[in-house]
Amino acid sequence: GRDLICIQSLDGMLMLFEQESFAFGRFLPGFLLPGPLAYSSRTDSFITVSSCQQVESYKYQVLAFATDADERQETEQQKLSSGKRLVVDWVLNIGEQALDICVVSFHHGVSSVFVLGERNFFCLKDNGQIRFMKKLDYSPSCFIPYCSVQEGTINTLIGTHSKMLNVYQDVTLKWATQLPHIPVSVKVANFQDLKGVIVTLSDDGHLQCSYLGTDPSLFQAPKVDSREINYEEMNAEMKELQKIIREATKTQDILPESEKQRDLTVTAEVSPDLDAESQATDSEVKAETVPSVSVKITIQSRVAVQKPSLAVCVQAPLAVTCDQFSFEDLEPDSSETVVLSVFLKGNCSPSELEGNCMVSYNIPTGIPRVAQCSFSLPLRLVCLPAQPSKAAAHKLTIDTNKPPVTFLTIFPDFVDASEGDQANALGFQFLTGSKTTLLASKTSQRYRIQSEQLEDLWLIAKELTRRLEEHFKKQNCKDFACTFSGSIPLQEYFELIDRHFELRLNTERFRELLSERAVQFRAIERRLLSRFKDRTPAPLQHLDTLLEGTFREVIALADAAEENQANLFQAFAKLKSATHLVIMLISLWQKLSTDQVAILEATFLPLAEDTQELGWEEAVDAAVSYLLRTCLSKSSKEQALTLSSQLCMPKDTSRLKKNITLFCDRLAKGGRLALSADSATQPAAGVPGGCATIPESELEERAAVPGSMAAFARHSHVTKQRSKP
Amino acid sequence: LERPAPPRPGGRGEARRGPARPSPAAPRQQREEHGRPRSLSRSAPSPVGTGRMGLEPLFQAWSYFRRRKFRECADLCSQLLERPPGEQVAGRARPRYFTFYFILIQAAWSLKTRALTEMVYVDEIDIDQEGIAEMILDENAIAQVARPGTSLKLPGTSQGGGPSPAVRPVTQSGRPITGFVRPSTQSGRPSTMEQAIRTPRTALTARPITSASGGYVRLGTASMLTNPDGPFINLSRLNLAKYAQKPKLAKALFEYIFHHENDVKNALDLAALATEHAQFKDWWWKVQIGKCYYRLGLYREAEKQFKSALKQQDMVDTILYLAKVYLRLDQPVTALNLFKQGLDRFPGEVTLICGIARIYEEMDNISSAAEYYKDVLKQDNTHVEAIACIGSNHFYSDQPEIALRFYRRLLQMGVYNCQLFNNLGLCCFYAQQYDMTLSSFERALFLAENEEETADVWYNLGHVAVGIGDLNLAYQCFKLTLVHNNDYAEAYNNLAVLEMRKGHVEQARALLQTASSLAPHMYEPHFNFAILSEKIGDLQRSYTAAQKSEAAFPGHVDTQQLIKQLKEHFAML
Repeated sequence: GRDLICIQSLDGMLMLFEQESFAFGRFLPGFLLPGPLAYSSRTDSFITVSSCQQVESYKYQVLAFATDADERQETEQQKLSSGKRLVVDWVLNIGEQALDICVVSFHHGVSSVFVLGERNFFCLKDNGQIRFMKKLDYSPSCFIPYCSVQEGTINTLIGTHSKMLNVYQDVTLKWATQLPHIPVSVKVANFQDLKGVIVTLSDDGHLQCSYLGTDPSLFQAPKVDSREINYEEMNAEMKELQKIIREATKTQDILPESEKQRDLTVTAEVSPDLDAESQATDSEVKAETVPSVSVKITIQSRVAVQKPSLAVCVQAPLAVTCDQFSFEDLEPDSSETVVLSVFLKGNCSPSELEGNCMVSYNIPTGIPRVAQCSFSLPLRLVCLPAQPSKAAAHKLTIDTNKPPVTFLTIFPDFVDASEGDQANALGFQFLTGSKTTLLASKTSQRYRIQSEQLEDLWLIAKELTRRLEEHFKKQNCKDFACTFSGSIPLQEYFELIDRHFELRLNTERFRELLSERAVQFRAIERRLLSRFKDRTPAPLQHLDTLLEGTFREVIALADAAEENQANLFQAFAKLKSATHLVIMLISLWQKLSTDQVAILEATFLPLAEDTQELGWEEAVDAAVSYLLRTCLSKSSKEQALTLSSQLCMPKDTSRLKKNITLFCDRLAKGGRLALSADSATQPAAGVPGGCATIPESELEERAAVPGSMAAFARHSHVTKQRSKP
Repeated sequence: LERPAPPRPGGRGEARRGPARPSPAAPRQQREEHGRPRSLSRSAPSPVGTGRMGLEPLFQAWSYFRRRKFRECADLCSQLLERPPGEQVAGRARPRYFTFYFILIQAAWSLKTRALTEMVYVDEIDIDQEGIAEMILDENAIAQVARPGTSLKLPGTSQGGGPSPAVRPVTQSGRPITGFVRPSTQSGRPSTMEQAIRTPRTALTARPITSASGGYVRLGTASMLTNPDGPFINLSRLNLAKYAQKPKLAKALFEYIFHHENDVKNALDLAALATEHAQFKDWWWKVQIGKCYYRLGLYREAEKQFKSALKQQDMVDTILYLAKVYLRLDQPVTALNLFKQGLDRFPGEVTLICGIARIYEEMDNISSAAEYYKDVLKQDNTHVEAIACIGSNHFYSDQPEIALRFYRRLLQMGVYNCQLFNNLGLCCFYAQQYDMTLSSFERALFLAENEEETADVWYNLGHVAVGIGDLNLAYQCFKLTLVHNNDYAEAYNNLAVLEMRKGHVEQARALLQTASSLAPHMYEPHFNFAILSEKIGDLQRSYTAAQKSEAAFPGHVDTQQLIKQLKEHFAML
């Protein structure tokens, strides 16, 4: 009939009262924060979850007679000897903090301890063994085991922080229901004529009595804000929209707009003189001063333009001081101007003295557009006037059909006026060091270009023909023409090809070596890793030295590969120059039309940059052999050969050289460059001095096998080529 | 010549069509949201230490903690920790006040650690990310090629007789799409580094992250942001050995280091010291060491720890962790056995049954997976993952009416998102309840949270349009899909089919090539390309495309017929 009360204080003391009188107080060992506390009458013990994440059970008897845990710190030794230490009855490590504990016994002789942890829900036996547990996939807030509906099972209510109340029978979810608040406590109450009411308390103090209804609390999806449908209006709008769509799909052609309609134009103006003060920075050229020339780029817009950005690019040994500009949105009829300088950066001569600028912008409807223009740079940017030299390894002679012009008129920027117009020799000194000399014949209508290196001839030759053409145009002389009658310097050209190819082979070798070393490095790493991971440390057996050595090798190889890469780049620039020269010579020699020159250029200069996967050699080889097989073929047998589908690096360059030689031979014999099948059928009347046209019979043969793979492949090839320009 | 069947719009069960990924409120996500102090009004904690009668501040903090108001709890604890010692004990004339003060400070410190941990807590079991580095440098593989049915790496042939890829779309690793997005369903297991890097980044089959640690770091840094004054505990100055000897502090501290700071190395040090102090008798520490080992990629060591912990005390979590290790070691059969043993000990444990179902699903044994998902529902009929998976399974096995009921159940439970309405719309369409179809999709569009979701809905609308024969609408729907998600390979494929019907061969070819480069794992673009090429007489390309199609879906009858036909053709030549 007496009430015994136990109070747990925040500092870990259990105070026991008999009725209103204080009986004793006891400190719990290892206390930090108060956990839930419950009294089990069957075993007469207090059960709590301590800060060590353990369920602990203390017998009342033990609590009453033990020494205060508080004094433990000072008198640890004494207590050990006194034998009255607070001893725990049983302990179960549950590995988490608990929210609540309940001790229930609904069946005779069976009592269970329910522990609601933060992540799991446990049911323990009297002696602290787990009867069952359930992992909760939500955060519980409170619980109560309330009755046993079925023999041997116990029903539990668990409230959650997601405002749910779940009813479990042991571990099986029997019912889930929504609450209007997060419950901090839940109980089942019996009132006079109302049994089994669920009472929940919210954290702001609202008490709610509820029952489990059968009306599902249907989730009411919020309404989508839809307009009232007016069919006529909708129809009209639909029609309007479809019209817009049709318009949009019609004008969405891939064809670019004609130049006149351009909303935005970009123009580049190269200043006639070199910069007074050179703007060149970080140039690798060893010359004393690297000149630069300024380019003024103007963007003019007729409409409003959003986010215009300008990119300027020049071929690699050349560089610009700034290659990216972005502007504010442009108003209609406004313009922007930028000035930048171009200079020679890499230590080799460029193959082209041209640059491009490109503007990308959005028109107000959001469609991205591009405008571009190109500019050509003066020769003075890469070479200086110098003393002409007589001797040279490579010589070229270009014939014209007009009397010679003095260098003073066509090369005013290289000839010193004081020397008078008598000079028939002109020297050019490239910034990179090599020299080229230009000689004009006094009697005949010839010009000679000579240099130690083949590739150096190109820029001068080009400049010469260009200036001559300009000069005669100014004089209204329409039938001016340059010709070349010597032999194409193929042998020298092949040497350049070989040099380039050798460097590519080197690259390949470096790559293989690098990958070998890298594999080795990884293997050593793996071994080391397993050594280190091993529990029983084994000697490293110099694996670390090996690792270090391999690492050095990798680095050295990478350095060598980089150097090789730079050489390769220079070789490719030279090769490009030489190729340009060869193209020019062929076209002068065979007097090719612009279309044919374009084909030649596409054949010999297919790539702006060559890479290891797709290099110059194989691309040119494929293109040349394609031409040999089609428009330059001699017999139908050659045509039947199929092209290999994949381009890969050749073993050597002999095949390429053979093909190029053959190509020149065929051209010499009057072969005509043409890509479409139709033009090939026409007799090559337009070719001066053409003799061997393609026989008719051959064409018929070709037409006879339209379904064959070869014909088909060719067809597709042609369409591709066409779409390129 | 007999022409094979006409190209189909990428198969009926387009990848990502419908029950693609409801991912409705994954339990993982819920957890995360609880942890975040989002809905909490940042009311300042009640003033502490003022003269008037109030709640004991520590008790107040503890109460905040119990109500999961972690931000307030942490703030209050900080105030407690900053107060000078004299004030703490003012008015207490008891001789043991110094001890009390000592305990109080420890308690406040511990409570704050726990609060900070809870804010960012994500169940470690649900975190599973496998990066490229982990996949490629996998040194646990015993054999290069596993026997069929023993590995998760081989998509293999489906043993459970589930629907074929023609009906149920597959992910890039060749596994059927599941109805529920889990971390492990996102990443495929590419076989080589090159494949891993080149794998296109489509919305569904995200490229594996480069290294798993990246994801963990992100978790950690996110938690740092919540503390403007820098980290609460400076780990480098911590004397771990001292803390390891105080079990009451050590556990909270460990969780803080592991979850909040994501400093696995320090966490492991602490755990190792603590387990030694506990004389290797505390299973909890062993599990924690195992968790650390798992994060560090030392799976065999983790396995040892978990096994040892299980010997001491059977726990559901330990079983789940151990199974996770086995899955990472690619031993699904061992994991299955473990789960089944676990079920003997803890009958009816939902997470275990669900684990079995997931493994079966990943091993392509769809029917067994469905059985186990049904068992899950018997134990817990509000299990979203199970409902979604069974729903999508029914949908792809041609029972849209039943799938509809499952999705309606989800709707009833309060799942309210784009994916669900998307799936409802599709089910309605295929169950011939046309009145609901468009309004469901309308809601889905309304609820879409990002462009990818919008793209999914438009794509499915395109399917509906194809179904009702409005090719114009279909065309525009697919175009809109591409506007929202430019990598949508399926939409490219279907647009190509529409273009083929119009006779625009070149466009169709370009679209198909785009589709196949975006999603090499789909067989449809390859097959359609083969058909197209065959039609215009380009037999060589047709043959190569057909072979690719066969590689992507070996059992496809139309492809086989086409190849046979082409071979005959070549033989004739």
